[in-house]
Formats: sequence, C-alpha cells, structure tokens
Amino acid sequence: MTQAPALEVRNLTTTFAGGRLTAVNDVSFTVLPGEVLGLVGESGSGKSVTLRSIMRLLPASGAVSGHVRWQGRDILTMSDADLRGVRGGQISMIFQEPMTALNPVLPVFTQIEENLKAHTDLDRAARAARARDLMDLVGIPDAARRLKEYPHQFSGGMRQRVMIAIALAGNPTLLLADEPTTALDVTIQDQILKLILDLRDELSMSVVLVTHDLGVVAATCDRIAVMYAGRIVETGTVRDVFAQPAHAYTRGLLGSVPHAGTERSMLLSIEGTPPPLDRIPAGCAFNPRCDFATGPCRARVPVLEDLAPGRSVACFNRTAVTAAGSPV
Amino acid sequence: MTDVTTPMMAARRRRVLPRPLIFGATILLASAVVAVFPAQVAPYDPNAFDYGALLQAPTSAHPMGTDNFGRDVLSRVLHAYTIDMQIAFFATVFPFLFGTVVGALVGYAGGWAEVIFGRIVDAVITFPFLVLVIAIVSVLGPGLVNMYIAVGVVGWVFYARIIAAEVRVQKRLDYADAGRAMGYTHARIIFVHLLPNAITPAIVYWMTDMALAILLGSSLGYLGLGAQPPAAEWGVQIADGKNFMATAWWISVFPGLAIVLTGLGFSLTGDGLAELLRTKR
Repeated sequence: MTQAPALEVRNLTTTFAGGRLTAVNDVSFTVLPGEVLGLVGESGSGKSVTLRSIMRLLPASGAVSGHVRWQGRDILTMSDADLRGVRGGQISMIFQEPMTALNPVLPVFTQIEENLKAHTDLDRAARAARARDLMDLVGIPDAARRLKEYPHQFSGGMRQRVMIAIALAGNPTLLLADEPTTALDVTIQDQILKLILDLRDELSMSVVLVTHDLGVVAATCDRIAVMYAGRIVETGTVRDVFAQPAHAYTRGLLGSVPHAGTERSMLLSIEGTPPPLDRIPAGCAFNPRCDFATGPCRARVPVLEDLAPGRSVACFNRTAVTAAGSPV
Repeated sequence: MTDVTTPMMAARRRRVLPRPLIFGATILLASAVVAVFPAQVAPYDPNAFDYGALLQAPTSAHPMGTDNFGRDVLSRVLHAYTIDMQIAFFATVFPFLFGTVVGALVGYAGGWAEVIFGRIVDAVITFPFLVLVIAIVSVLGPGLVNMYIAVGVVGWVFYARIIAAEVRVQKRLDYADAGRAMGYTHARIIFVHLLPNAITPAIVYWMTDMALAILLGSSLGYLGLGAQPPAAEWGVQIADGKNFMATAWWISVFPGLAIVLTGLGFSLTGDGLAELLRTKR
C-alpha cells in the first residue's frame, strides 16, 4: 500500500462565473500506477469538470485551485510550454463524442502523425510505421489503407479507436477517459472497454474513467470515487463499495440498476434530481433526496472520513446505511 | 478477407463533381487562357485605328463590329480579359487572405477582441461599399493599384466576419479541445485544425466577390477611376460606347456580355465548390 501514486489530486476546487458557481468542491483522490479509477455520478455532479480541471482544459470563465501532482510537479501551476509537453505526451485524454472529437477535414494518418511530431523525435518513416502499429494496437484492420481515410469514413466505434490511437501516440502513462463509451452501442461499448483494459496491461498506463454507468465501473475499474454536487462522497475498491455501500447516494445508485442472476425485484430510484450549481442545499448536498437524512445532515457538510485504508465516505449516518445492506 | 464494396461505398469513392462546378470552371479556365494569351486569340491589335471601318456593324471581318476609331470590338473585348481577370484576382486575394487570418484570430480569441472587431465591422458596413471605394480612390488618385488598395481596405471585413463566425462554431467542438488535450499550440489549433473546417464559406464568398470585383472594376473604369483609356477594359469600353448606343449598340453590348459571362463563371464555380466542400461528418 505504500506505492507512490501516479497522479495525486488535492483539494481541487473549480468555480465558474467569478466564484459564484462551484462545480468541483475540494476534491482529493489519487491514482496508482496501472490502476483504473472510476469517477461516477449523475449528470452535473462535476465528473467531467474534474477531469478537465486536471488538464486545465476549462473555458476562460473557470477558475481552478488546489494541487494536481504529476511526477513531482503541479500541473495547475506549470508554464504553458511545460503543460503542452504533459498534455498528449504523458497524459492523454479521450472524449465522449467520437463523432466530433476528430478533425473532419484531415485524414486519420495526419492526425496521428501530428501527435507523434509533437511528442516524439521519430523521423518521417518511423512515424509512418508507428502510425500503422498504433492502428494495429487499437484493433483497426487494414491499417495502411485506413490511415489514408477521413473520419467520416469510419463508424462510431472505429472513430473512438482512432481517437485512442491518437491519444496513445505520445506513450502516455495516464489516460483520462471522459465517458468514452456513452455515445456507442452496447456491443461496441464492451469492445472499447476491453481495448482500454488491454492497453492498460500492455502499456502499464493508469486510467481515470468518467462514467455514469455502474455496469461499466463494475466491468473495468479497480477503484471507484462517487461524486455528488461537486464533492466526492465515497471512495474505495469497486468490490468493497459494491458489496457494502456506506453512503446513501451510492446505495441509491447501486439500487437503480437492474442486476442479472438475482430474483426479479422493483428497481429503486432516487427521487428528485441533482441540485443546480446555484442552489446547492445547506449541509449535505444530498439531504433533500436522502432516505437516511437526520438533523446534522441539514446543518453541516459531512467530511470524507476513512473507514479503512483506501476506503472513505462522507456521511453522518453511515452506520445506518451500512446496516441497510447492499441493494445489489 | 475479401474486399466487400457496397453501392454506397462506391458512390462515396467516385466523388461526382457537381455540375455547376464543371460549367463554371470551364468558363473560368477559358477566360484565364484568353487573359494570358490575348494576342494569340484576338484577330486584330486592340488599339489599332482603322479609319476605313468606323462604327461598322458586326460582319464576318469584325464579328462584334468596330468602334468610333475603327478598333475591332472583339479584339478589345478579348484583350480586356487580361485586365479584368487581374482585377478579379488582385482586388479580392488580399482581402481574402488578410480577412481570413484576422477572422480566425478574432473568432478564436473571443471576448474583447470580438467586441472591438464588431465595432470595426459596423463602422465599415455603415458606408455603402461603392461610395467608400470611390471616396478612397478619389483621395489616392485613379488607377488600378489604388483601386486594389481601396477595395482591400474595405473588403477584408466581410471575409473576417464570415471566418470569425465559423471559427466561433468550430472551436466549441470536441476536436478543438482534443487538440488542446494533445498539447498543441493555439496557433496550430487555429490554423491547422479550425481554419480548414471554417474556410469553405469564405472560399465560396471569394468566388462571388471576384464576380463583384469585375463589376466594380468596370464601374470604376466607366467612371474614369479605374483602368484608364485607351486600355481595353470592359467598363472603359462600355463608357466609350455610351454616346453611340442608338446607332452602334455593339460597342457597349459585347463588353457587357463578357462581364455577364465571366460573372456567371465565378458564380457557378462558387455554387459548385459549396456543394463539393460541404464537410462530411
């Protein structure tokens, strides 16, 4: 357990509109080398903003504070030139919409080669060879021919593979994936996730996977961090959290997806919707929707407390939640 | 693995050229040939007086007739291609290039740059285009180069406005963010990624603008502010013929038709390019 983390995020806070809206609130987590961390939550819970804050990819109206430690340096304070070396080189990112994340007017080869030019010293011939290798690596057949084609000639799943090939060109040690399978149909989704896992093993990358799909988390992640209204409310290994959720929100999420192989039962749903950023309730942000809420929940914000090494939760009534058992 | 080709794939690969583009490009290509080799295609010297054949109606010797100095109208119309195609190109290429660069930068930067740019655009388009150009030419003095300057000073805002609007749309798409996530510089993202996706409407507008430039060049030539007589230029020729409209219509009508034909060539090419370059997603 004393392995040094690859990425360490400390007290990350992202605000918009001159500090009036807080999208990410005091978020801390670590990613170990070779680990897949799932960042989970409903739409608007701050998952994607967290990911973009790490890479400083926010619009001008966003302000980030805190620390993002990466190989002994803080990404949030490094110079733009250093940042360009990290982006796409050491840390790569893939996006939700493979339809719009590729430049439609450039052939795929040009787009892969561009990243190779930016982050490696390979010469022309070596770049061409490497581009073919990357296409093979991400499972696109007939690489030599397909490299000359344009994004519109690829299907959605194939485009996401191209996106991954571009992201891998700089030999990253951390891959940030922002809902990489949400726009794809289920069979393709499965292939892409398998591909990411294979690549993790092959290239010993760490992966941060943002998703709202708990099935994806169960199938791919080592650890999970559950976000609600900009805060992390529970973290732990996927096995522990799924077996014994300690936060009412996590329990609600787990109860709201159907499970194969168990007796048919009613799906539980969490009443209401996540609060908009300008109307986050006092106390625990989840309290208006929570079945376990008591007095303190409405008065104070619960802090993230360790239950065991690598397992923490921010809930006043965690014993009651734990006692209620897993809905899985 | 066998190569499977579906009809759709075949159609996609065949890339049929749009018909307007074929017609338009043919006209322009022919115009360009005449513009470069006018002496080879014209039957007479455009400035040679022939006092034995003044104001002759079209005959087989002079298919477009002769003017009041006995100059062959056909030869003058053909030689005018050299000047008028030059006007079409030089009056538009600098605004196109400058406007494109400014528009791309403004559209990407947004914020204050966009506000200031918006005011400049407003200031320019408040004046009628032709009036503004004539005002500038009258300050600088008549002649082609001054005309290019005048048109350039005014014309770039239209390109910049088109490009800025397109870049504003494109920069919100994921591939712009993806470029930043790959660690590319702003310049690289603007000019390698966003601009090629944003430039199509500006190219199409450029074609229309070249047709308008010919009209403008002819108008200024007609008013005596552009090409100077005795140069063979369509606007100058139409001006030459205006006193003879009732008796020798051919002096003015044939240069007019040449303007229409060339303008048609640019417009068709523009339409065709718009169809061809429409981005596929």
